[in-house]
Amino acid sequence: MISQKTIEEAMYEAMRTAALEMPPDVRAALERALAEEKDPMAQEHLKISLKNADLARRGEGLVCADTGFPLFFVKAGANTQIEGGFGAIREAAENAVRRNTAECYLRPTMVDPLRRSNPGNNIGPGMPKVELSFEGEGDGLEIIAVPKGGGSEIFGTFYRMLFPSDGVAGIKKFVIECIMNSCYAGKICPPALVGVGIGGTADLCMSMAKKAALLRPVGKHNPDPLVADLEKELLEAARKLGIGPMGSRGINAVISLNIDCAVTHTAALPVAFNAQCLVGRRWTALVSASNQIQLTGEIA
Amino acid sequence: MKNIQLPMSPETARELKLGELVTVSGLLFTGRSRLHIRAVEEDIYPPIDYEKINCFFHVGPVMMKENEDWQVVSCEPTSSIRFERYGADVVKKFNLRTLIGKTTMGPRTAAALKEVGGVYLSKIGLSGNSLRKQIKKVHNVYFLDELGKTEATWIYEVEEFGPFFVAIDAQGNNYFEQLADDVSQRLPEIENELGIGQDYEFTEVNA
Repeated sequence: MISQKTIEEAMYEAMRTAALEMPPDVRAALERALAEEKDPMAQEHLKISLKNADLARRGEGLVCADTGFPLFFVKAGANTQIEGGFGAIREAAENAVRRNTAECYLRPTMVDPLRRSNPGNNIGPGMPKVELSFEGEGDGLEIIAVPKGGGSEIFGTFYRMLFPSDGVAGIKKFVIECIMNSCYAGKICPPALVGVGIGGTADLCMSMAKKAALLRPVGKHNPDPLVADLEKELLEAARKLGIGPMGSRGINAVISLNIDCAVTHTAALPVAFNAQCLVGRRWTALVSASNQIQLTGEIA
Repeated sequence: MKNIQLPMSPETARELKLGELVTVSGLLFTGRSRLHIRAVEEDIYPPIDYEKINCFFHVGPVMMKENEDWQVVSCEPTSSIRFERYGADVVKKFNLRTLIGKTTMGPRTAAALKEVGGVYLSKIGLSGNSLRKQIKKVHNVYFLDELGKTEATWIYEVEEFGPFFVAIDAQGNNYFEQLADDVSQRLPEIENELGIGQDYEFTEVNA
């Protein structure tokens, strides 16, 4: 049985590490982008961002000071058992975020939307956001912590209900326009990791877009070849816009474009867009039934 | 690279070119949405000498109190375009010749900067950990209890702070406008390759 203390420790460590380290696949993609960019300012944006990440890794700051929305994606197996039941995960998440905020690994950023009051601990109704899902026969937990930055969420979220007659051309037009708008002046901090959801209900569609942006390793395509081809075609088109890092003149406005689909109503074609910024923050804690915690920057 | 002494003189501001990389040294104040809204709507703002502390740095820093001293953990410039509703009024109210932030600002703020002879400087990449080291002293903080560490106004003394690039010059020109025009010109060919006709329109169901 997994103890509540273990879960809290795993969530704390995963969120803390996410605030301090750029995932290895994202870092490698930024280095490839740097080798490719020609414009001096485009290069400078990437060089300075990589140096900033080096400083954070050495304990001299954070990978980005906007630690944003505290999100946890938790996956359990059919045989996972938790002390106090699955409801204990919520409290563990709150404790993990409270500690990280008190220790300045997370900036106190979550406020009441109408009063604008700030409790100073990033905790309130809905936050930290914990999404629990079940997969496979395992007895452990996979916890992915994502401090989701404001820029990419505020300027990089779009939804449109298309119709079947709008066709694939409509999906492509929507995605390209989203990239142009969100990358203007570097609003979403490009090079971005873009997620697109197609199908489902409005909320499922956006949830797919968000997870496609946050939780897929750079370079991995959708297993459905039809969807993978659309990913490649749109990424190639984005590279021709002439927008580079932080909205400069360049190539790499987007370094990964991931699409996920769900079945939808025969009358509908919902499309959602969500972006993740260039630091691509996410870190995983794998928890075994024997309460061992393994932290990793790799993602399946 | 040019290092500019703050407060920036009108002559220095006038000479800066779009896209030019600069650093700044001297005193600045921080703020974000709450400072903008309160200054314009409620006439509440930090009681400082704005001729002396004339540079507005758009940021919500990560601050930590060690013993009795405030330390900057990281300070990443925040998205200035969010403040466009109030930007022009704030520039004119305090006669600001230097704004530092992320992204850009809109046409109203650009016009206000032209009026006062000021510039808007935008960040290069993510640089919050280097910028932190260039903050030599935290002089003061205003509205900490009311607004919290992120939205409070901090007074920093900085040295060779940056680099930043000139995104709006003192003539009101915007670095990103020409770039966006170039992108728009490429769009028809890209859409063509994607099979999107130039007369394509989404189905509209709302009046």
